[in-house]
Amino acid sequence: MIESLLFVFLITLGGILITLSVHLIPVGGAPAAMAQAPGVGTGTTQLAFGIGLTGLLVTISVYTLSDNTLLGIVFGGIASTVMIAIVMLISNVSYIYGIGIPLASGKAVKDPITKDRQDIYISKGTEGHGVPTAAFLSGIIGGFVGGIGGSLIYAVLYMALSSEINAPLAAVVSLPMILAISIYIINAVIASYNIGGTIEGFYDPKIKKVYKAVLVSAIVTFLCGVLSLIIILKSGGVV
Amino acid sequence: MDPLFGMGVLALVSVFAAIAGYTEDLESVVGSQSNPNSQVQLAPQMKYPHRLFNKAISGEPLSNAIIATIGSVVAFPLLLLDISPLAAIVGGAFVATLVHIVFATTSFLGRITSQSRFKQPIYMDVYKTHIPVIAAYAFLTVACVLIICFLMTKYLEIPIPAPILAFVFGIMIGSIGSAVGDTQYGAERLYQNLEFGSGVNAAYSGNIARKAESGTRSGIDNSWFSSKFGGPATGITCAAVVVMTSGLTLLFNPEWGETVGWVGVAAAVLFIIITVLINRYIEKTARKRFGPYRENEKTEAIK
Repeated sequence: MIESLLFVFLITLGGILITLSVHLIPVGGAPAAMAQAPGVGTGTTQLAFGIGLTGLLVTISVYTLSDNTLLGIVFGGIASTVMIAIVMLISNVSYIYGIGIPLASGKAVKDPITKDRQDIYISKGTEGHGVPTAAFLSGIIGGFVGGIGGSLIYAVLYMALSSEINAPLAAVVSLPMILAISIYIINAVIASYNIGGTIEGFYDPKIKKVYKAVLVSAIVTFLCGVLSLIIILKSGGVV
Repeated sequence: MDPLFGMGVLALVSVFAAIAGYTEDLESVVGSQSNPNSQVQLAPQMKYPHRLFNKAISGEPLSNAIIATIGSVVAFPLLLLDISPLAAIVGGAFVATLVHIVFATTSFLGRITSQSRFKQPIYMDVYKTHIPVIAAYAFLTVACVLIICFLMTKYLEIPIPAPILAFVFGIMIGSIGSAVGDTQYGAERLYQNLEFGSGVNAAYSGNIARKAESGTRSGIDNSWFSSKFGGPATGITCAAVVVMTSGLTLLFNPEWGETVGWVGVAAAVLFIIITVLINRYIEKTARKRFGPYRENEKTEAIK
């Protein structure tokens, strides 16, 4: 019983981390694809989902090679970070060399980290464009936190299922993976509702609303965690 | 597994990831899917009827993931029947393409008919000329994803079942295509009637370029343009992500000891620091070369 509670608690923690991460990743939604808003030019859920799945993929390959749970979780986090870093870098290359615009934040007059002026580099009729350094670093932290969250959920469910079951490895891997993916997307959507389309990272005023999303995420992920454990239990896992 | 062999397979996987990224981005450009679709959808409402193919089946990652998963669900059971992998992959990609054509058709007709009050006609020639191109790109994307799944499950010993792996890669390639490739299409190609070197002024939303290099602009003209920058950029990103994530566990295999695994984490951190530095460098050079848009006046940050 105590073990089950611990599992649900860890899954809830993973969900909260995912929600936090989506708030930290600089995403501009559709306006960013027209260079009207700063951030990566895609939807928050979509980018977060892509990042989370990349981390999950690496976590699973680490688990098949090593028994170290912590290593698997950290590897998942770092793989998500690598993915978001590459995506942000090449999307910046695309803004600078494809569209011919400098990177500029609309939410800060000066970049909080490099102290560069931002407002004079914003083109007319837009709120900024691209991912400036502060937003880039925020995205990296967000990618890591989200990757850790997704991998943590997978690790907990995998441990619950794999301890005594005598099933093929593919079956033991896929059920926790599907559940982890589901919990990941649920939390990404919760965070997206809170953000409302665009966010630049830790210095964006919208970050002040994060507690609402965290609360909702904690409740929803707790329920998801309980349901996931029931599914795992019915599939022959030991909780 | 021999690491050299693993790296060889991974190199092949990354090549297919690059092709998948390239074709996925061009497929979304021909059909104006994903984020810039908002402008194509808005144009008739702003009294700019156009001859672009307008489909937004769903967000790019999800529509891409669904066809990849359908493809793998068809292809991988065929492998159990002792059919050659190539034939199975072609079969799976073919079925997935058919499903994609159905989605593209319903999406195109549905979206344009909903705009009839804005006097946007349904051009059947646009439909007939664009669908084969969309189908071809979708086929290539699915085939590449299936080849990646085949190589990864068979040679890289990834224990994930192929359909789930196809789903993961569909989402991954779709989200990269949406994040990287579409900006050039949305901010540059759709607004070539505006001056180069600036974001799209919100006041011009919907005023998309409708004249081509010759005649009226179509989605196929746009894919020609995107194939020079947006598509390759997406491809490079996809390949880089695959190499830098899956390659980590191959080069620093945790099976050889936990320390090796932690060294892999350190190597990834080093790589991330390098990307931050490159980003900072291009940010500074761009600012220096392009210069500010206005003089050093005081403005308020947008809250």
